[in-house]
Amino acid sequence: MSGKRAMIEVEALHKHFGDNHVLKGIDLSVAVGEVVCIIGPSGSGKSTLLRCINHLEYPDRGNIRIDGKLAYRDEIDGRYRAHRARDIAAVRAQVGMVFQHFNLFPHLTVMGNLIEAPVHVLRRPAAEARRRGLELLAQVGLSDKADAYPEELSGGQQQRAAIARALAMDPKAMLFDEATSALDPELINEVLTVMRDLAAGGMTMLVVTHEMNFARQVASRVIFMDHGRIVEQDTPERIFGAPREARTQDFLRSVLDH
Amino acid sequence: MDLFNPEIALENLGPLFAGLWITVQLTLVVIVLSMGFALLVALGGMSRHRPIQWLVKAYIEVIRGTPLLLQLIYIYYVLPEVGIRLDAFAAGVIGLTLNYSAYIAEVYRAGIQAIPRGQHDAAAALGMTPTLSMRRIVLPQAIRIVIPSLGNYFIGLFKDTALVSVVSIQEVVFTAQILAAQNFQYFTLYTIVGIMYFAVSFPAARLVGYLERITRSGYATRRRR
Repeated sequence: MSGKRAMIEVEALHKHFGDNHVLKGIDLSVAVGEVVCIIGPSGSGKSTLLRCINHLEYPDRGNIRIDGKLAYRDEIDGRYRAHRARDIAAVRAQVGMVFQHFNLFPHLTVMGNLIEAPVHVLRRPAAEARRRGLELLAQVGLSDKADAYPEELSGGQQQRAAIARALAMDPKAMLFDEATSALDPELINEVLTVMRDLAAGGMTMLVVTHEMNFARQVASRVIFMDHGRIVEQDTPERIFGAPREARTQDFLRSVLDH
Repeated sequence: MDLFNPEIALENLGPLFAGLWITVQLTLVVIVLSMGFALLVALGGMSRHRPIQWLVKAYIEVIRGTPLLLQLIYIYYVLPEVGIRLDAFAAGVIGLTLNYSAYIAEVYRAGIQAIPRGQHDAAAALGMTPTLSMRRIVLPQAIRIVIPSLGNYFIGLFKDTALVSVVSIQEVVFTAQILAAQNFQYFTLYTIVGIMYFAVSFPAARLVGYLERITRSGYATRRRR
């Protein structure tokens, strides 16, 4: 890992869904400007890990730090005390998240989606938020769709709008939760291109993905997860070229062989 | 033979329209009050505080488990015995509002719960507090979902206001009762009253059907036309 400041730190994270132990002690650090891709079979806990980092799931044990600060809750004598809703929201506002199913707000236009949180969470003037929104729409190639409703867009356009919506908060880091998994094959690349540009621009990114080529070309580090554990992490060259663990080898063989 | 007496009809049209106006006023006041109160009830039912949840649940079950007619009688005739004296119109408004709010709260709850989890996730991930997310993201979508049900409930309400004649509010049915007691022209008077109800309900039902088509056809429809 680089000697740079850590933006996202995860310590000894555990999460159960009932009897199912989905995260079995995850330790992870993402440095400023780093692009970390998490790969692994479905059910390996990748998405749950990402959702825990944004506190959309509540881990049973473990801590999360965002930009050096303990986030969402304090640990006092082995018990956790949740922060106030306002403080939790303030941390989330600093971390952008992109979902598999886009989750655009259907009752708002694309521009409405983009300015909603900047205006109502960051209290920016609407005109200023709109100006920034137009810049971001240009960046993701949707300049002509500001007044369209989400239902009028293709999946790829919706996901690019969702990325712009997250960027409108000027986040310190971006989380991508299988951002292209719900897209038709011909629409995947337009989204990956936006993500590639973002990475090239220096954004700190943690990306759960099934797109091995994206991970190979864009990631500064690749993490392979299986059964709730980080099995192996290394540079993309090493992970894809010479994986050390048998499970990593098996997984890569199964996804790259067809 | 002459069941319908045009002279009697003309003579009594004035008081009957006055009664209809009371009916309409009553309906509109209760619509506004119950839409607001039911929202509080619905949000209370989803509150994290158990006592509030229980209170809401008890209120809804009591209202749904007893007849509206009894509720109205109770408010107007029984409450004075414990020192709460209301004039007839106020008793009617309160009774109808309490009754309809219980049902509308359930409609709201269903509408709110119909909003997919992804919407809550997206709002939370953008740094919205639960309150802000409810106000800006969930409720605007839920309201749209429940508009047709609300419309049907309010048409029901318009007709149910006839029950407040029991607390002597001079709405249209009560007015007809008084007039009929004087001239015994039941057929004429009650036929007019029936036509009056239908003349309001039928277009209102068509309007609700229209709203239902609009709300089902997506957010971008208006502009596409």
